[in-house]
Amino acid sequence: MSGSSTPSRKRSKWDADDDDDQGLSARPPVQKRRVKVVKPSRTDHPSPNPDISRLPDSAQNNTRPTFSAFAPPRALHPPFISSRSVYSYERLNSIEEGSYGVVFRAKDKQTGDIVALKKLKLDEEKHGFPITALREINALMGCRHENVVGIREVVVGETLTQVFIVMDFIEHDLKTLLTVMPSPFLQSEIKTLMLQLLSAVAHCHANWILHRDLKTSNLLMNNRGSLKVADFGLARRYGDPVGVGGMTQLVVTLWYRAPEILLGAKTYSTAVDMWSVGCIFAELLLKEPLFQAKGEIELLSMIFKLLGPPTSTSWPEYSTLPLAKTITLPSPQPHQFRQKFQYLTTAGINLLMSLLTYDPDRRITADEALQHPYFSESPAPKHPDMFSSFPSAAAGEKRRKPFSSPPAPVRAADQKLLSDVDGP
Amino acid sequence: MAGLPPLASLSQIKNTPSSLDGIPADLEEDLRAYGCKLIHQAGVLLKLKQVAVATAQILFQRFFYVSSMKQFGIGDTGMGALYLSSKLQECPVKMRDLINVFDLLFQRAAHTVSPSSHPLPDFKYSPMSYFGSTFYDLKESLVVSEMQILKRLGFNTNVVLPYGTLVNYMRLLGLTSREDAVSRAWGYLNDALQTPVYALYAVPTIISAAILLTTRHLDIPLPSTPPNCWWELFDAEWEDLWTVCGYIMRLYRERSPEERSRVVGMMGKKDVRRWLESRPNASQ
Repeated sequence: MSGSSTPSRKRSKWDADDDDDQGLSARPPVQKRRVKVVKPSRTDHPSPNPDISRLPDSAQNNTRPTFSAFAPPRALHPPFISSRSVYSYERLNSIEEGSYGVVFRAKDKQTGDIVALKKLKLDEEKHGFPITALREINALMGCRHENVVGIREVVVGETLTQVFIVMDFIEHDLKTLLTVMPSPFLQSEIKTLMLQLLSAVAHCHANWILHRDLKTSNLLMNNRGSLKVADFGLARRYGDPVGVGGMTQLVVTLWYRAPEILLGAKTYSTAVDMWSVGCIFAELLLKEPLFQAKGEIELLSMIFKLLGPPTSTSWPEYSTLPLAKTITLPSPQPHQFRQKFQYLTTAGINLLMSLLTYDPDRRITADEALQHPYFSESPAPKHPDMFSSFPSAAAGEKRRKPFSSPPAPVRAADQKLLSDVDGP
Repeated sequence: MAGLPPLASLSQIKNTPSSLDGIPADLEEDLRAYGCKLIHQAGVLLKLKQVAVATAQILFQRFFYVSSMKQFGIGDTGMGALYLSSKLQECPVKMRDLINVFDLLFQRAAHTVSPSSHPLPDFKYSPMSYFGSTFYDLKESLVVSEMQILKRLGFNTNVVLPYGTLVNYMRLLGLTSREDAVSRAWGYLNDALQTPVYALYAVPTIISAAILLTTRHLDIPLPSTPPNCWWELFDAEWEDLWTVCGYIMRLYRERSPEERSRVVGMMGKKDVRRWLESRPNASQ
């Protein structure tokens, strides 16, 4: 949490706690102190005599240098900290209005840090605090990583319907950058961006989180060449086996949506994010979105055209998908990656094709992609510090209107909510 | 890893908000346990997953380290915690189902403390009317309570449940062949959800305490002489273990009828306030 001292009574209480806890790091005696406080009396209990008498020895012989990673010292656990007020921040300008909230740029009144405040829309909630917002907050808190936008805290306004997620402010989003930058990213820069994206996605997947809305406008970049995955508004936890009761198909912005979702798969997994990563890779190369389709049917036919229509070898489960019967496949034709990406090396084409693979089971995983030869061949990835900086649109400069991609799917909260859960 | 789950700080433990409002420690402990029992009963009636019930109980316990029972009733808070955790565990309940179930539990509780003649007449549940004000009042409390839990816990709902780790520990100690030991330890972990320990100690400590109680009750010998103490395998401290055992064992103490009806009659914040006011020269 940011901000160490604040005027309010509550905060200063926490500050006092922090001091206590720091004092605790010299462990054993403190633990005892704490225990005595917790436990007022134990008169009506079986006498612990035999063991208690041994205790002092045990404590002294105990020269264990460190705790295991699985049981860190008590003092490292944070205390319970209530949400601060949104008035701890000074509002600067609004950045954008997303599918389910407005984002402001704001300044922390104590530290002077510039942050992004995302206001959640809670006015017409019929189901209490929306499950999607819970998922977003938990995903952000659970996926801390240098390439995931950092969540600082959640603050509240005067009424219970005003809730704001406070995140690090990042100057650019990749989509705007791609539109306004005069020349496309260099191969060395694309490699750096892809490595950062892949390591963020690998981290999310390792923590059992699906992002489900990866696209260039959700990838932020600061002026030091560091990419941050943002907007976990459609994220959710997945399990093994995946989504037993079925998951919604209303996910992922159309252009970045994997074919299995388009064909109505009831269960899907990490591979849907990897398809989106493939679309983003292509977009970085082309400087414009790969599949700019107006609808799902057009998107499918564009995919069929680039990849060649699916066959029983390239995608064995194709015919079992709910919507497969409603689609007439075009006549067989080879893929057209080489024609479309003429200046990409063989390794680059191979990575792109591994990402844009029909069969979700054979699509490359984030961990595998990080090891791909494309990243080790020349030119080497550029160091993030070597990226040129750009004027930031989000910080207030006028920007040109970017090409408008279709909006993210409508939030699945209300009626769709119940279809998006692991049923009992 | 998603970072360490929060635990109460020293000052949060020393002065709970309820104790600052004059609620005695033993009463607070019993009210906490009763609130968690309500959550458990509602979870059973709603056929909710145990992970949702356990999460709700842990959030409930945390909440009363930052809030007083004079401001927030245990009934409302239990309802809000269960509603919230059903979403957190991806098994959301319908608001109306939850409200009906808690209404039944409230009515049944009120029945047991009604001042009518002994023995008590059989309990008859009278369902609320579909559009009646009972529903809308309860719905309002539910929404407010869910929001208050989130707000006062800073939207940190990171909860670590003990079950998987218990299995690992029992395996490590070579106790998985003793079915009685495994199910007893499992039971202690579940009972411990009615105590504040999950808001006070890390999961390895609580599990070690459950194993300690189990092995003592079943006379299973484990190395317990320094420097070879089995709980050190799990980075637990003997004093902490013993304290957790104390919390769990206190649950089983037979309560007097007065103690029982006192708790049942204090589910709402108004009941708590009335009780506090009715105590002559009460405070401290």
